[in-house]
Amino acid sequence: MFQRLTSSPTFKRTAAAAAAWLLCAMDWMWWQKAPAWASGIVFLAVASFAAGAMVKASKSRRENPVRFAAVISVAFFPMWTLVVFGLDCLELAGARVWCARMGTATAYFGGLAWVIWLIEKAAREFDLKRFEQQHKADGESILAAVLHGKELDHSPIERTANPLDPEAWYYGKKSKRLNQSLAAFMSYSLVFFVAFLVITQMGGCQEIYEMPAGGGEQQQIAQQVKVQKIIRKKFVVNPFAAISFKVPPIDEIKLQLNEITKHAYTVGYGQGTGAGFAGGTKLGKVRFIRLEYQGGDWDQDFGIGADVNMLIEYGIRTQQKVEKVTESRTIGELNNFPIGKSPPFVYMTGQRSIQLSKSEVKTLREFLLDKHGMLFGDNGGSRGWHSQFLAVMNQVLPNVRPTPIPLDDQIHRIPYQIPFLPYVAPHGGKEALGWRVDGRLVCYYHPGDIGDAWTDDHSGVSPEIWEACYQLGTNVIFYAHTEYAKWLAARQQTD
Amino acid sequence: MARRTTANGLTCLLAGLIASVVVLTGLDAHAAQLDEMSLERWAKLREVERYQLNIAEKYYREKNYKVAASEYEKFLSLYETSEGAPYSLLKWSLCMMQQKKVNTAVKEGFQSVIDYWPDSPEAVSSAYFIGQAYKDMGETRKAKKAYEAVVEEHPKELVTVYALVDLADLASIDGDVDSQVAAWKKLTFDVERNRESQNHCVRASQSLAAHCFANSRFTDGVQALATTYEKDQLPGQVLAYARRPISDLTGDSATRSQGEKLADQGIAWAKQQIPGGSTEEETKLAKSCWYVVADLYAASRRPDKVVETYDAIGKKFGTDDETRGRLAGWLKSEKEYDKARIEYAKFENQIEGNNQIAYSFREERKWDQAVAAYQRNLTLDQENQVKWNEQIAATYRDGGKPQEAIAVYDGLRTSDVENAERWMWQIAYTYHHYAGKYKVAIGWYRQCSNFPSNYQQMADCHRRMKEYKEAIILYGQIIGGSEGTAPWALLQIGLTHEDAGEKEKAIQAFQQVCKRFPKDGHASQAHARLQDKYGITVTLGGAKDE
Repeated sequence: MFQRLTSSPTFKRTAAAAAAWLLCAMDWMWWQKAPAWASGIVFLAVASFAAGAMVKASKSRRENPVRFAAVISVAFFPMWTLVVFGLDCLELAGARVWCARMGTATAYFGGLAWVIWLIEKAAREFDLKRFEQQHKADGESILAAVLHGKELDHSPIERTANPLDPEAWYYGKKSKRLNQSLAAFMSYSLVFFVAFLVITQMGGCQEIYEMPAGGGEQQQIAQQVKVQKIIRKKFVVNPFAAISFKVPPIDEIKLQLNEITKHAYTVGYGQGTGAGFAGGTKLGKVRFIRLEYQGGDWDQDFGIGADVNMLIEYGIRTQQKVEKVTESRTIGELNNFPIGKSPPFVYMTGQRSIQLSKSEVKTLREFLLDKHGMLFGDNGGSRGWHSQFLAVMNQVLPNVRPTPIPLDDQIHRIPYQIPFLPYVAPHGGKEALGWRVDGRLVCYYHPGDIGDAWTDDHSGVSPEIWEACYQLGTNVIFYAHTEYAKWLAARQQTD
Repeated sequence: MARRTTANGLTCLLAGLIASVVVLTGLDAHAAQLDEMSLERWAKLREVERYQLNIAEKYYREKNYKVAASEYEKFLSLYETSEGAPYSLLKWSLCMMQQKKVNTAVKEGFQSVIDYWPDSPEAVSSAYFIGQAYKDMGETRKAKKAYEAVVEEHPKELVTVYALVDLADLASIDGDVDSQVAAWKKLTFDVERNRESQNHCVRASQSLAAHCFANSRFTDGVQALATTYEKDQLPGQVLAYARRPISDLTGDSATRSQGEKLADQGIAWAKQQIPGGSTEEETKLAKSCWYVVADLYAASRRPDKVVETYDAIGKKFGTDDETRGRLAGWLKSEKEYDKARIEYAKFENQIEGNNQIAYSFREERKWDQAVAAYQRNLTLDQENQVKWNEQIAATYRDGGKPQEAIAVYDGLRTSDVENAERWMWQIAYTYHHYAGKYKVAIGWYRQCSNFPSNYQQMADCHRRMKEYKEAIILYGQIIGGSEGTAPWALLQIGLTHEDAGEKEKAIQAFQQVCKRFPKDGHASQAHARLQDKYGITVTLGGAKDE
């Protein structure tokens, strides 16, 4: 039967379509070697094939409902993939994520339904077989036994370990069917969960970071003041007129001027219109992602104003699009961002200890170097955190030594000129430290709890200090995005 | 940069006058010579120019870099064609560096010196400072390029020495051993050694030797050290730099043979250095070579050979305290304390022998025996009664016998009147930290006059006795009397209120630390305490570092 099935042309077509879909899906999720249009064609073709199979199966669904359900279940995957892929191409990130999650839930419940059905079917067959055996021994036919109202004797005949058999020894002596169903449900859930984890850890559940599209100049903020002189009415005065008109001396004439003040340029980088970055997308936004790590209080002031305030201020000051809320990711989750669509910077703070595994160190190194990211470190309150941060960076970038960042460095000048380093408390000294790779700052370390100055109460520091802290935060975020945009442009040129 | 003038009688005078113009940059210790102006050129300046430059120099010396930069700039705008113009721009650039405006210093300062006055001595210095600025910023690639240009263009100048030192450092950051060794070699063998370059060349030769020894290139290592040390010093220095690599190599079974080979090379070399003559100097050198042999055997973990070598030394030169001391030192490193003490007991200088015996007992935490050995010295050495009594007291204290220690210190207080306060402090400290008798300790601390240390200790005693009010009063007095310790004392007030359960007052004190001393490290502790313990975000700190 198997040979007949495999030699049938329908099976061959289905297998070919499945192989093409699997290959394309893996490439899209992990390798990204094939061009998007090619993947799109394959996904479309396979989905069309699946739709055709569904239509064909629907014609005989009354005669063979199981076959119809099986076709629908299998056809669901290419169709779901096509939708997610399409949304990804259309850069509808929110819809894509929603669709991906719904699809995952559908796949889970669909699979669970099949597991229940299979278990039930197999259990009935075993019961029937056992019933038949019991009554054959009595010389009675099954029909007669049923008509006489005889029931299956559940006393063990022989010890079995087949999980499809409800009489398996490990299902116990009471409520065997219930135990079998529960075991099946838990096993299936576990397998699904493990498979999900494996796929997501392999980068399957990718997420992307997109900068806001636009352009602008990487310059210091300067306000342009245009003076518009209001032309006054001129009077032609007849000195011999009967009307006396006192002409004021020239010095007393007050000029009436209007001042038009605005930013002299758009804060951004590239040739696009509006404040943003070349290499950004229409739906892209500047996001503030905080790094989660083991051992300490990574979530200090998280979600109670500090990061959100900074992000809002960044949006107001640069006119760039920003996300409404701030986020956090584990270091491992940085792997989910593909090269070219990863966050230009992540923020890390705390005051206790920092414990990173070797793989996390590697991930962080890849994020900083291969993905052209930047780490914005902020000492949240102790000399110990300072030492630990430096030790971590020494592990991440062993060949780069931290150096004080001059006040006239680009990061301290653009878009705001920072004349001094503002801090709330000098937990790690009074100098900002930087780690540079090929001239680019891959890590900016603020020694004095800049995050505390961003909070709603600004920790009680003077307006001059907290304003400078917002400006510095703006500069760091802008620097990271600008460097990222430059890198994307350079990558496009080399491609 | 100070040009080396031809040797003549004026050299000393010039040096003295130059020193009046010299200002330490404070950037880096080895950059001190590059921002000087020679007297010849100083003499060419007009009176008004010298006047203006002196004003700028005054502010520079006072580290008022902002004003100094303005004055140098003023000089430049007034006397653009003066001989002092490149010097003024160089110093302006250094002021910028001090104000953390490194990019400005490079682009508008050092580079302009090179562009406008390429033949001036300041152009040479500027070329080096550009490299240094890039290095300070972490721009290693640009720094390397700048330093390599300096080495190529000014091979005979002092800047080359500094550039090579920095190149070696950059290579170590990059893990580029070949470049590092190349820089060390140039400094060791090629650079002419003079007063300014000597230290850098010596350090390079030492680093090169250590590197060669670690890589089992014994002869190269010796050659490097030979550029720095005279023949009589060389064996000891070879031992100093070869001992560690030999010990490391022989400590690992995989590299043991390599380490032993290196040690054998060293031993053979040391034996070659033994002179044949019998003059006092030659005997001294011969003996030091034999000691090197013994120490190299010790480093290569061959104890039998060590004993053999010391026997040979004894037969050849006779056994003296030095040889016994070295042997005993090695025995101690092998944990053979009893055998070591036997050697110490044989010392001709019995006082030193007892001292070493006592010290070895202290190393083994055998306090009573140590005291006994020191007491023997009390009878032998009448001149140094104070010294041995102090050692006895310290031994009692370490051995958990504070009362005995205090008795000895008290005896010293009466016998050594000149240092009575020192002994009172020791008594107080022992009552405080070793005997736990805080009230008595306070009494003794009160008699000392080393404010604020005594007040700090007294306050601590009060806190331990839960007399918080008294402690706070003392901390308050510290705030009023010692500006430098005020942030610490205010923080302690907060902590004392905390101990006393006065939460509100503690919070106020911590906030005061943040508000009054926002730049001090104690503000950081107060800020963290407010946030962690009390969940207070309004800490009232905040400062700026210009």
